[in-house]
Amino acid sequence: MASQDSRGEDEVCPVCKSSRYLNPNMRFLINPECYHKMCESCVDRIFSSGPASCPVAGCRKTLRKNRFRQQTFEDIGVEREVDIRRRVMHILNRREEEFDSKRAYDDFLEQREEIIANLVYRTDVAKTEAQLQAYAQENMQSIKTNQALEEQEATSFHKKILMEQEEARMRQQIAREEYENERREQQATREDFLTRLASGSAADVAAIARDGHKVHLKKSSARRSEEERIRQKQAALRGTEGKRTGTPLAMGETAGATSGAGLIKGLRKIKTPEPEKPYDPFMGLVPGKRDYYTQLESYPYAFLDKLRSDTTVQAGGYDLQEYYSRTLLEAFAGLGCFVQEEVAQREATSALGISNPAATEGAAMAAVGKNAA
Amino acid sequence: MIEDDIYRTSSQFRLWSYTESSLKNLRTTTNNIASERVRAALRRARERHLSATPSATGTPQPGSDAEEKHIECLTPEEELVLVRYYCEKTVELGDTYRPPLPTNVRATAIQYLRRFYLTNSPMTYHPKSIMACALFVATKTDNYYMSLRSFAEGIPGDTTPDDVIAPEFLLMQGLRFTFDVRHPFRGLEGGVMELSAIAQGQGKPAPHLPQHTPESLKEGILNLAPPPVPVSSITDRIGRAHGATRELLKSAAQMTDAYFLYTPSQIWLAAFLIADRPLAEFYLDTKLGGPIDPTAMETDTSTLHNPLSELRTKLLKVLGDCAALLQSYTPLSSDPDQMKSLKRIAKKLYHCQNPEKVNLKRDTTAPRLMPAGDAGTVTSESETERLAKKRKLEMESKQRGGHDVFGPELVPDRTRH
Amino acid sequence: MALSPFASRSPSLTVASPNSALRLKASAVPRSTGQAVAAKAQSNPERELTEQLNDDVRRKYTKGHFRDDPSSCVAIKKIKVNAEYKDGLTMDAIREVKYLQELSHRNVIALHDVFSSKDQNLNLVLEFLPGGDLEMLIKDGDIHYGVGDVKAWMGMLARGVWFCHENFVLHRDIKPNNLLIAADGEVKLADFGLARSFADPYLNMTHQVITRWYRPPELLFGAKQYSGAVDVWSMGMVFAELLLRVPLLAGMSDLDQISKICEAFGTPTEENWPGVTQLANYVTDKAVPLQGRDFFLRQFPTAGPVGADLLMSMCVLDPRKRATALQVLQHKWWTAEPRPTKNEDLPRKSGTKKMGDDLARRGGDNDDGPFKNAARQLDFGGMK
Repeated sequence: MASQDSRGEDEVCPVCKSSRYLNPNMRFLINPECYHKMCESCVDRIFSSGPASCPVAGCRKTLRKNRFRQQTFEDIGVEREVDIRRRVMHILNRREEEFDSKRAYDDFLEQREEIIANLVYRTDVAKTEAQLQAYAQENMQSIKTNQALEEQEATSFHKKILMEQEEARMRQQIAREEYENERREQQATREDFLTRLASGSAADVAAIARDGHKVHLKKSSARRSEEERIRQKQAALRGTEGKRTGTPLAMGETAGATSGAGLIKGLRKIKTPEPEKPYDPFMGLVPGKRDYYTQLESYPYAFLDKLRSDTTVQAGGYDLQEYYSRTLLEAFAGLGCFVQEEVAQREATSALGISNPAATEGAAMAAVGKNAA
Repeated sequence: MIEDDIYRTSSQFRLWSYTESSLKNLRTTTNNIASERVRAALRRARERHLSATPSATGTPQPGSDAEEKHIECLTPEEELVLVRYYCEKTVELGDTYRPPLPTNVRATAIQYLRRFYLTNSPMTYHPKSIMACALFVATKTDNYYMSLRSFAEGIPGDTTPDDVIAPEFLLMQGLRFTFDVRHPFRGLEGGVMELSAIAQGQGKPAPHLPQHTPESLKEGILNLAPPPVPVSSITDRIGRAHGATRELLKSAAQMTDAYFLYTPSQIWLAAFLIADRPLAEFYLDTKLGGPIDPTAMETDTSTLHNPLSELRTKLLKVLGDCAALLQSYTPLSSDPDQMKSLKRIAKKLYHCQNPEKVNLKRDTTAPRLMPAGDAGTVTSESETERLAKKRKLEMESKQRGGHDVFGPELVPDRTRH
Repeated sequence: MALSPFASRSPSLTVASPNSALRLKASAVPRSTGQAVAAKAQSNPERELTEQLNDDVRRKYTKGHFRDDPSSCVAIKKIKVNAEYKDGLTMDAIREVKYLQELSHRNVIALHDVFSSKDQNLNLVLEFLPGGDLEMLIKDGDIHYGVGDVKAWMGMLARGVWFCHENFVLHRDIKPNNLLIAADGEVKLADFGLARSFADPYLNMTHQVITRWYRPPELLFGAKQYSGAVDVWSMGMVFAELLLRVPLLAGMSDLDQISKICEAFGTPTEENWPGVTQLANYVTDKAVPLQGRDFFLRQFPTAGPVGADLLMSMCVLDPRKRATALQVLQHKWWTAEPRPTKNEDLPRKSGTKKMGDDLARRGGDNDDGPFKNAARQLDFGGMK
């Protein structure tokens, strides 16, 4: 049987031919370069003094000692596929939120599977590898970011699990304690009840019994509300925790600025928010910009002399600068507006539109007048 | 140029600037529509008159004696002459106030009139009734407010406040509710101030011509070709040019189509060119650079596509056109020929005035009582009669009053019966 | 179809006679008296009136939209020809129309069109500003805002004022309830009923302008020739009010206003304001020394030292030494920390609550009298 055969093979090192039968502590190692199996002592012997080629006949791959590891899966084919998958997924680690649509993400997943399959079944290896390398080069930044994100998610997931376990443990403990307390209290009340019954008169019996019951009720309701409060507080804490882990995700997204152009299609265009421009109080307008003149502080103009010396006008704040700037602007505003040209153009464009020359409307209106009745 | 873009946002540029042909078309359309309406209204008035009691004699019935006679309406050119006459009258009316109304208030009123009559015909609304209202609205919009009562008192004759205010809303509609008029007066002051600064060696170079210095500018202005009239000093020269330009802006610029066809800065500079060509050209050169030397052009290719010199070439032509327009103006009152034709037009208007639009007052006094579109009440028999009497009274009072501000009566007194 | 002789004459609109007019949903509004003339626009850009917004004695606001784009909104301000005012169209209507026709800026309310309806009423088609006004935000205790928000609002206000001054227009009525807020949070300068262009030399202007609490000392003293500095003072008062959330100087009368200014900033004298004693209505009751920088730092700690400096420059008594609108915008406060809040993050009036307020107010209990609320009536955020 094949399985038994392979198991039998497993027991013998293909390099030194020593067998587990003789050496029960023997460990087999593989190297992901060629996945040829050999025993630990062979690895030590051959590769301790630096890289060497694989001792298996026909395989000339250069192997390094530090890459040797123990096999996880029994089937060396599965082992290899898992390795390839891990490596490819490490590089093609785009996340769903980076895609325009679910469809684009699915296409990406399919593409990734295809690449993995190519490598596993050795079709177009060179080309596929080249693609993968090129992609890795181009998207180094985004790959790193997504790796970091994954790690972060993994650790926070781990933490969360731990926290939940801890909480469950606490809850159990509290419940246990409560139960214990309750039991003790019940016992105490019962004892108290019995002593009171023993010492009291028969008429009191009913009252005492009611009393005891009431106390018990009150206590358990108080405890319930206390439990509720704690639970809410914990829920709130979990909520903020979730938000906090949410932010780096968003930041990661923006950091992955380089587009995954080429290999992967349908990636959402990520706009790096341009570094926020400094606030412009004028919102783009340029104060005091003029093309025809440069305004002076003051103009020699006899007409204004009386005004300049009038203290009342001065005290009121009348500002001749405002007058200068107005007269000069009006001296030149529209100097380069050629009405004949510009209005002709305007009319040509508006003629294509809907409205009549608005102005003729007036004549029509005036004329229509009252006679239409 | 940034100054030009600022001007382009104004309502004057957006709504009240025209090409020569569009201006002409507009006036023709207005005239055609108004003429049709006048004919229809006169026909209706006649029909009503015939259907009413035939004993209503003494009422002037335009065209009643010759029913088939074609009613002759004003041409667009005749309308324009008439409007211009009332623009000149607006200036005179402004003078009757103590103190006289400021120039810019009068100029605004004139432009209101001119704008109003682009889309309204004098046959529909007589300029005489619109004129006073335009001047009153101008006092309101140009921050020279006086009460309607004192304004009406300032008008010679027996014009009541109601007469003045009646067409206000109509006028504002005609103005498309744009009250701002950009005049060339303040621009002229700016130019004169800057020239004075240059003459005193304080001039600053224009932003695009940094090679100038206060000294070079001063030297330039002092070495200009002599002005048309000999002057004692450069200050005197600037002062004279200033005065002459201002006169042109107050008259020719107002009475022609300059505001519709050119911008205020082009208008004042064109007037300045008329007043003192060397000085105006020098001033333009400080802004746009001098003429390009043909020898320099060969060596320096950059001047070939110099936007400043391109602008200068274009501008000089436009300024020349504008100056020609301003110079074409002669006041009506100083020209007997024009006065004669004006009288003929006024007489013609008397026959083709739309009878349904004569009394504007009732439209404001009872606008809500009168159901819209109820035309019958307006030109009822009694109304026509009342109007005729009023017209007769007016005419008689004009004949008595020797020095009427509106000048001599344009229409020779018609002999009745 | 009958047309009244005074039907619309406007560049783009005609208004039909009442026969064909659309009746509005006016019946839904309790106080509408049915005078509302429904206007049906016939040409482009066309607008249909959808709801009557509110009315007061003289002016009505109606909500409408362009017919080619029903999602766009406009506010239609109706100015009735006032029967008591014999001199024709009132000055404030003329001023508003005149200046808004010329000014086009992000921080100035846009006038889309003016049209007339048959009864000689003027209808201003204005930008629809559903966000209420700054006064509402200041007064609403449920709204919390910080210095970044104040900076954003003041920036927009200062830009609007600067633009007006660049176009040689004095607003002369700047106060929080004339500063309306658009749907996107932008502040717009509104109500140009007192605006005028700068006076030429030797020409007088009236000093009876600007709501008293925001009126600068030179106007209180009766100056007839003044400058853009009057608007800057008002801006300073708005700034202080945004920081304090109460009006800084709420005088009971003009005289009281002067003494409040003196108490706050110091008494105007010939030393700190040459020529002031020659102004027509110059009065002082007590001599308070001029306040220094530390006063502003102490009084307005939230603005920070740079902000306090800016405020101080806007509140200088002598108008010649007061900052101009340009200098206000050039101040380093704008670029100092914190950065002005983005429009989308600015606090807004709470919609549902305000809507309730509006409905209550329409019931008749106008709190501030008919005219004071003119600006507020544009507010219809809750009525989408």
